[in-house]
Amino acid sequence: MSKQQHISPPRLAKRFLRLYCRQEFLEEIEGDIYELFDRRVSQKPRRARWLFCWDVLRFFRPMNIKRIKTTNSNIINMTRNNFKVAARVLWKQKTNTVLNIGSIAVGMACFILIGLYVRQELSFDKFHDKGDRIYRTWTKEDYGQGQQFFYTSSPLPLAPTLEANIPEVEATVLVDYSNFLVGDGENRLNERVAFVSPNFFDVFSFKLLKGNVQKPLERNTIVLSEDYALKYFGSEEAVGKHITLQVNDNKVSYEVSAIMANMPSNTGFQMNMIVSNEDKERFYNPRALQAWFNIAPETFVLLRENTSAQEVVEKFPEMINSVLGDRIEEGQYELGLQLLEDIHLNPDFPAASMPVGNPRYVYVLATIGMLVLVMACINYTTLSTGQSIRRSKEVGIRKVVGAQKGGLIWQYLSESILITAFATLAGVALALFLLPTFNHLAGTQIAIIFDLQNLLLLISIILLVGIATGLYPAFVLSNLKLINILRGGKSGGRGAGIFRKSLVVFQLLLTIFLISGSLIMRQQLNFLQSSDVGYEKDAMVYVNLYPKEGANGMLNGIVSGFENAELLKARLSQYPEVSGLGAANHMFGSTGWTQVGFNDVNGQFRQFYVLATDAHFVDGFNIAMKEGRAFDEDMEVDKRESIIINQAAVDYFGLEDPVGKKLPGNDFGNHRIIGVTENFNFQSLHTDVEPLIIVQNLSPIFAGISDVTINDNPIPKVFFKYTGQNLLAVRDILDEAWSELFPNEELNFSFIDERLRLLYENEARVNKIAGVATVISILIAAFGLLGLTILVVNTKVKEIGIRKVLGASPITIMNILLRQFSIQLGLAFLISIPVTWYLMNQWLSDFAYRVDIGLLVFVASGFLSFLIMLSVIVYHAVRASRINPVNALRVE
Amino acid sequence: MKGTYLGEFEELVLLTVGALYPEAYGVAVMDEIKKETGRTVNISAIHSALRRLDDKGFVKSKMGGATNERGGRRKRYFELTSQGKKALDEAQSLRLKLYNRITDISLGGS
Repeated sequence: MSKQQHISPPRLAKRFLRLYCRQEFLEEIEGDIYELFDRRVSQKPRRARWLFCWDVLRFFRPMNIKRIKTTNSNIINMTRNNFKVAARVLWKQKTNTVLNIGSIAVGMACFILIGLYVRQELSFDKFHDKGDRIYRTWTKEDYGQGQQFFYTSSPLPLAPTLEANIPEVEATVLVDYSNFLVGDGENRLNERVAFVSPNFFDVFSFKLLKGNVQKPLERNTIVLSEDYALKYFGSEEAVGKHITLQVNDNKVSYEVSAIMANMPSNTGFQMNMIVSNEDKERFYNPRALQAWFNIAPETFVLLRENTSAQEVVEKFPEMINSVLGDRIEEGQYELGLQLLEDIHLNPDFPAASMPVGNPRYVYVLATIGMLVLVMACINYTTLSTGQSIRRSKEVGIRKVVGAQKGGLIWQYLSESILITAFATLAGVALALFLLPTFNHLAGTQIAIIFDLQNLLLLISIILLVGIATGLYPAFVLSNLKLINILRGGKSGGRGAGIFRKSLVVFQLLLTIFLISGSLIMRQQLNFLQSSDVGYEKDAMVYVNLYPKEGANGMLNGIVSGFENAELLKARLSQYPEVSGLGAANHMFGSTGWTQVGFNDVNGQFRQFYVLATDAHFVDGFNIAMKEGRAFDEDMEVDKRESIIINQAAVDYFGLEDPVGKKLPGNDFGNHRIIGVTENFNFQSLHTDVEPLIIVQNLSPIFAGISDVTINDNPIPKVFFKYTGQNLLAVRDILDEAWSELFPNEELNFSFIDERLRLLYENEARVNKIAGVATVISILIAAFGLLGLTILVVNTKVKEIGIRKVLGASPITIMNILLRQFSIQLGLAFLISIPVTWYLMNQWLSDFAYRVDIGLLVFVASGFLSFLIMLSVIVYHAVRASRINPVNALRVE
Repeated sequence: MKGTYLGEFEELVLLTVGALYPEAYGVAVMDEIKKETGRTVNISAIHSALRRLDDKGFVKSKMGGATNERGGRRKRYFELTSQGKKALDEAQSLRLKLYNRITDISLGGS
């Protein structure tokens, strides 16, 4: 028995029971479970304690739980009551509620989608744990006379030099990409492979899922993304398998060491296959490893904690001087650091492999998203201010009963917050529903993530929007003069009317601006895509070639590529649908053609683009010749030394009567200008046509230049015009010819007009998003107008009745209603013209070739908005004018 | 007033309260039900049923005297009210009435 005394019911359970249980039931409940406990404890003490807890939990039912004492607090009661009243009012005015919730929901959905896109753009590479210490190097070389080079890639010896000379540098990471053929034997795929320093995963925060997570990058190991593990090994376990890469001339077998989570879409690194660059000779030729003026990979630098980039940068000149002192003068070679997080949205630095977006577009879109939301808010404000007449009696009674002003304001605010909350829920649902469409349309890959941060953001948006929309109506309503209301006189001062009207004008202004803005954007894009670029681009196809095995170096690669081009051309010429065959080492639709520089006879630094082609480039693309002749296939001299230049080059070099002359440089090999082409735009229409020289043999040009910049694959491509009906059949033809000639390589071809469209992808994306926002804003404005029309018709029922009795025709009555809004629309339209003009000209100044903003755009958008207004108003106006005046006047 | 309907479990508890008079309190009712029907019922369910019956007016209750058992807590004793008795009678007679209508034919079937 004494043992039994020790064992008492669990303290915690007892306390919990006392905490929740209502006083009046506590004694009997406690008594009963104590009794049960006493009975059980003699048999199985441990079990008894468990059962005691279980009983306590089972008693935790609403009927036993204490009533919360604070329920009687006035604030909580009133708030509950407010929400109840709000729900009733909303239920009673269903049209109004639907319009309000509808427009805020649609606006919110639009805001959420655009916001997600903007957030993704702004969050580029901001997730790295050490992100605040990771920098990328940039270099500015300045030799005077316009001979300046600015690049964010870097020479290979830079990284070891930094590590050796600057103690603040904790680590460096080289990142480079190249296309390698992957696989063995048949079905080799051309893949973009990243080769990086072995410490890549230590510096950047990319998640490794399985395999050798500690040291994934060794000499002969490769890391695959989940997608690529699936692509190459299907459902099999990829780790430990082997994969063959053709790295330059060597076939190297790599073992899959680890699988990496797919890189998120908000990072500038887009890698699916990563190998280590530890064996540098495998990837770079020995000269490049030593060269300071050969730029290849991007170098990322991880600084030690608590060091400022400023301190480090200040040590650079000394370091550069010690390494390069004998080869450059003071100030000619400047090295700097750019924060990793800064790369994506800073177009002041030239792009290397990390994509750089235009921050302006991000801000434009963010603004559009905000504007749409603001329009939706205006709907609520105008409609509920308009409603205030109806609700003035309610306010009057409340005041008589003793409601304070603060209480009234809080009441109406809670109403608007309630509406916003509903609308936001609907908006999130709508956004989820529309997300795939949006991604497809805008070519983005955004996802809605339900994390705590987004949730908090959403809640704060609800509160903000709810308060912003509700504040004005709340003040108007609570400010109504008691006497006026109860006497039944007119309520709401003049000021309220003007405020409401100007809100409507503002809203219409935004709508018209968005309509004209997206019209102008579309015009510009159409102009870019359809404008005459000076060469044939419709149904032109090109095929990427590969150099033959064993062709080392760029020039040899190009030459052997042309040899392959001849094979493919001969094979393709057998098809009747193929005409205008030719080859060139760059193609339209990709920027970054070979650009070279040299010092001319006067010592001035000159730069031009150079393109290697076969004899059929000019006639294949139907490029107009201004003077001289094009290449002739049968003339040997053309293959050796003839060059063709464009008009821009003639102007640039200041040549007069250029045919038969030479370029103004000292070291060029034998060459002779045989023709001048009209300017054709070989880059994108963002820029003017620049000097271009077309050759069949690159050697004489390369002999006389001092530097080369290439940001495009320089291996030749075969191009042709496809004259068949079915564009899909191109693939069949090419597959057939290709598999015969190059069975081991992957076929890779594109249509030129498609590639050209990609050049304006950024603009097209913004235009599409803006287009969506415009449609939504039209919708919202229409909602608003509809609500206002119903309101006006309701308040003017008697006026209309009296007018009809006195003999007014339905037309007159419609006029009265239309006049209400026509003035506001007209005003909005007038203001929109200069605003649109100014803002859109800002945007257009990004383009070297652009449309003029014509009057037509404004006429069109004005007409469109008037039409929309008419179609929204007309139904209710007609109904109002048809109403039997007896019904209207009988009410009293 | 809604809720004068007597549920199956409520009826069982109500009967037990009547049968145990004057010693009907929570644990006793639970034990009795366990003894008579073999059903294991949690004590909280008994309390809920008793309180609902109280609300419906079928039972009334009073606190017993102080004891040294059960941690010194008093018991709440329940007893049938006339209304409760009536409800039981009605349930009983309804059951009998229907029961007597069961013919031999329907039994012969199985």
